[in-house]
Amino acid sequence: MQFRLEKRQEPSRFMLYATPVAAVVLTMVLGAIIFTTIGFDGVGAVREIFLTPLINPLKWQDLAVKASPLIIIAVGLSIGYRANVWNIGAEGQYIVGALAGTGVALATWEMTGWWLLPLMIIAGVAGGMAYAAVPALLRVKFKVNEILTTLMLTYVSVQLLNYLVLGPWINPTGYGQAQTRLFNADQTLPYIIPGTIVQLGTPIALIVALVAWVLMSKSMFGFQIRVVGLAPHAARYGGFSENRTIWLALLVGGGLAGLAGVLEVAGPFGRMVPSFPTNYGFTAIIVAFLGRLNPLGIVVAGIVLAITFVGGQVAQTTIGLPFPAVGLFQAMMLFLLLAGDILVRYRLRRVVRLPAAGEVA
Amino acid sequence: MDASRPFRLELTGITKRFPGVVANDHVSFSVKPGEIHALLGENGAGKSTLVKMIYGIMQPDGGEIGWDGQKVVMSNPKTARKLGIGMVFQHFSLFEAMTVLENIALGMDAKIPARELEAGIRKVMDEYGLVLDPHRVVSTLSVGERQRIEIVRALLLNPKLLIMDEPTSVLTPQEVEQLFGVLRKLAVEGCSILYISHKLHEIKALCHTATILRAGKLVDTCDPGEETSRSMAEKMIGASLKDIVRGEGRELGEAKFIVSDLSTGKLGHFDVAVEAVSFSVRAGEILGIAGVAGNGQNALLNALSGEILAHDASDVTLDGQPLGRLDTTGRRRHGLCAVPEERNGHAAIGDFSLAENTILTARDRMSMVVMGLINSGAARTYTGKVITEFAVKALGPAALAGSLSGGNLQKYIMGREILQRPSVLIVSQPTWGVDAGAAAAIHQALVDLAAEGSAIVVISQDLDELLALCDTMAVINNGRLSPSMPVGTVTVEEIGLLMGGVHGEKAAEDTHAVPA
Amino acid sequence: MSPELLIGIIITLVGASTPILFAALGELVAEKSGVLNLGVEGMMLVGAVICFAVTYNTGNPWLGILSAALASAAVSMIFAVLTLGLSANQVATGLALTIFGTGFSALFGRAYTGKPLALFKSVFPDALATHPLLRAVFGYSPLVYLSLAMVALVWWFLAKTRGGLILRAVGESDISAHSMGYSVIGVRYAAVAFGGAMAGIGGSCFPLMLTPQWVEGLTAGRGWIALALVVFGAWRPIRLLGGAYLFGLVMTIELYAKAGGGIAHVVPSQFWAALPYLATILVLVLISLRQSSNTSAPACLGKPFLPTN
Repeated sequence: MQFRLEKRQEPSRFMLYATPVAAVVLTMVLGAIIFTTIGFDGVGAVREIFLTPLINPLKWQDLAVKASPLIIIAVGLSIGYRANVWNIGAEGQYIVGALAGTGVALATWEMTGWWLLPLMIIAGVAGGMAYAAVPALLRVKFKVNEILTTLMLTYVSVQLLNYLVLGPWINPTGYGQAQTRLFNADQTLPYIIPGTIVQLGTPIALIVALVAWVLMSKSMFGFQIRVVGLAPHAARYGGFSENRTIWLALLVGGGLAGLAGVLEVAGPFGRMVPSFPTNYGFTAIIVAFLGRLNPLGIVVAGIVLAITFVGGQVAQTTIGLPFPAVGLFQAMMLFLLLAGDILVRYRLRRVVRLPAAGEVA
Repeated sequence: MDASRPFRLELTGITKRFPGVVANDHVSFSVKPGEIHALLGENGAGKSTLVKMIYGIMQPDGGEIGWDGQKVVMSNPKTARKLGIGMVFQHFSLFEAMTVLENIALGMDAKIPARELEAGIRKVMDEYGLVLDPHRVVSTLSVGERQRIEIVRALLLNPKLLIMDEPTSVLTPQEVEQLFGVLRKLAVEGCSILYISHKLHEIKALCHTATILRAGKLVDTCDPGEETSRSMAEKMIGASLKDIVRGEGRELGEAKFIVSDLSTGKLGHFDVAVEAVSFSVRAGEILGIAGVAGNGQNALLNALSGEILAHDASDVTLDGQPLGRLDTTGRRRHGLCAVPEERNGHAAIGDFSLAENTILTARDRMSMVVMGLINSGAARTYTGKVITEFAVKALGPAALAGSLSGGNLQKYIMGREILQRPSVLIVSQPTWGVDAGAAAAIHQALVDLAAEGSAIVVISQDLDELLALCDTMAVINNGRLSPSMPVGTVTVEEIGLLMGGVHGEKAAEDTHAVPA
Repeated sequence: MSPELLIGIIITLVGASTPILFAALGELVAEKSGVLNLGVEGMMLVGAVICFAVTYNTGNPWLGILSAALASAAVSMIFAVLTLGLSANQVATGLALTIFGTGFSALFGRAYTGKPLALFKSVFPDALATHPLLRAVFGYSPLVYLSLAMVALVWWFLAKTRGGLILRAVGESDISAHSMGYSVIGVRYAAVAFGGAMAGIGGSCFPLMLTPQWVEGLTAGRGWIALALVVFGAWRPIRLLGGAYLFGLVMTIELYAKAGGGIAHVVPSQFWAALPYLATILVLVLISLRQSSNTSAPACLGKPFLPTN
């Protein structure tokens, strides 16, 4: 008996939503098996990574804190990916956005007022946009592949961060430790749920996702992005400029990554430190795909990935599972999702051999 | 042709199914040695699928293939070539960035030293009068030259059966004659030829036998010499032909759409640019632009539609309004609509619903966008109207464009533009790959739109279509456009010479010249 | 500049270039067949950690290199099955492969953190290998000579053999190659596996030649530079070699600037650390200026192929 793939007449909506769920479930099953085989407590690892953060209400606030930047960045990336613009340097835009916000905070550290935080946020968004404008310019003017430039700029941004916190921005009262001074109260995000660590970043993430959903599904902006991504010829025929769309996609992606960066530095961190880059920008790529490039799906996917982060820390302390194992779980999830993608457009058919027919290649 | 000898090729009950369609339904026929056998049918009748199975690219779901009296299984093209089957593809199987020699080497199943191969190529070319430089890179060659590579490649294998899939669609009438000479010589030498086409006069001129397919089923095997073109066409379509109905006493108005000295400048390296093109179309007039594929038709359409901007605004004018510097959206607002040749990915997006495809080009003229937000109700309503008025077979406005057959998608696209009531409509290859019923409907819609006073430009490679449809004709060759000529005053030979590059007034004076 | 310093620079430069040269050669072959594998960084990391572990435990660097090649080729098959077998998006799958390789090497390498490894030095007699001048020819790790041999081999294969012709044909037009009876998917599997093996060998250069102890993420983005290098080399092995040594020179400047005095100290060290990445961007711009009229990328690069049957 043989199977072959047969193209569906229309993509299956059921599979579109079922495959991400299946990918997560399969990751749990396969992960348990693989980690047991290589000598870890596989079942324990899956339990701690995927279930404990959900079951234990004390961990929910951690989920909100971790999921917010992932959602904000992934929403921006998803808009780019829909336009076929492959910004994979969100980590760099996230860092530069945070640095821009930090710059404003350090320049105004003796001041007070409600306007400080909005100003920092504007600076963060602008910083992320400016950093994404470089690959946009290079792609539009010189046709330089944005995959490589956005990524190279990420490595550059890490060096910029190191330079600033070790040099000009070092805390003058910090005994030479590589970090900036602590932001003042008007420069830090307020807590919105008393008694928890949930800050303003979480509602902002939800609003960003909602606005993006409306834009992508109901507006000409979203229509243009989708047309350019799917069929560049048709886009020109429809009167949409490809270059303008590339600019839009990268600026929105960079701006949102910058927003996430400034919310993070003004939130959980409270100052800029060398360990600020935590790969949110890269993890957000997984979030965007797992969420099917749909802003509402991304909210769910962001929470799933946040669960693995929080769960990874839990597993580290409870069963001694090394933290990098989380990366393997995340990669496995993405692999399985991409493998499942084909079921959206194709169905698996059993091949029935007719007499005298040739071999089925 | 000796009746006692076994058939070169014998198909018995060949069946091939695809999801939702039976491409070949128990097809049986046979080809004798030295016979030129036509395989005739409309687009989508199953001709290409059938020959792909003979050549081993696809496998049948049922039935048998016989070769010189033996039952064979064509598991892949190598098996087919080993038996002596050569194939010239409709969409050439060539590698653009490689040389002629490398392309031919790839078609050989054994490794032949380059020097020997080149000697072999030169021998075949001499024998059949085919001219080709083995060291040229394919991307620099004309379409006719590219076809010669495929023919040489097939001939080098000393084929006993040569399959030609729609070989003349890219050739000038003169090149077609040359090709027929080669094929007749091959047949005399004993090579069988399976000739796929939907051009009836070619089949009458060339073929000994014709097998007609319709919707995957064999309709008839006949002698084309004893049939008329009309009788074969009706077997092919399964209905009687419809003629275009024109209103009586038509009068053409003032020059409405004027193009003067339009050039696109250099484009990508596979595209031919348009140079200093000028013409004008009157209200109610249909201008046909003939030409062999790849002579700048795409660039011309893009320059007229607004995908490529002109140097000066006044290069393109509509009712005196300069449109040259406007993009497609701007030109559409002024009443200029266009339909490019490629349906999938250019005129329509397969992954979008029909309603979304409507938004692509009709959003402004049909007010589907309010303050940046899409009024999807308006898009659905208009799409529904297109579906009804143009008899598009689709489940409704929510159906994906990619789920429609080629002919239905083309009817939808034409309807989407025509119902916007454009003052100028530019269409390229309006009936390419469309079945006869749909083609007749599209032709009628174009004539009706012209009757309402619109100016229409039809770019097509199908001379018969242009002669039936147009009031005036011009020919595009290597990016340059000949002067316009009223259709009644030109002959096919004259147009053929213009298509082959013999230009302007000279051709008109010296119609007996034969290009070398 | 003294001859000793110049020779020192050459030796450092060649050493710094070799890992990206291996990885870029492998990627070149994969891309020539029409596959864009963005997982080079991940495959290099897998190769690096496997090579470290095997060499550390057996003391045999050749065994380490071989294991790295096999391991990375095996990992590249995840990519191949997804993109070739299931026609998944090549960009996304390549990214996933890099995330996988990063996690895998971090997890697997934990046991070796801080453990030392002997460098895989020149196998020529000391009289040649440490001679003040002759060491510019004889003073390299065997991996360097292997990389040069691979450049020649890949050039010969692509330009002179029938296999190379078929591989290029598959990358040029998958549909044509398929209709002529070549196995598009089969050729691409082989090319991806070769790319994986080469990335693995490239990864093994890090513990054997450059940083003889395990550090997490020790490839530091070199896999991505290798990808840029393929573009820079216009998909030609000999130009790739020149490009790799040019990048090696930029990375050498970083090392010397950090160690040296004078003007280098006016500029912060982070600038020198960022220089290879900035240089990559600059080079990409320069190439695109030169190639605007004549791109030499394989026509089917990155496009999925699923034969209808």
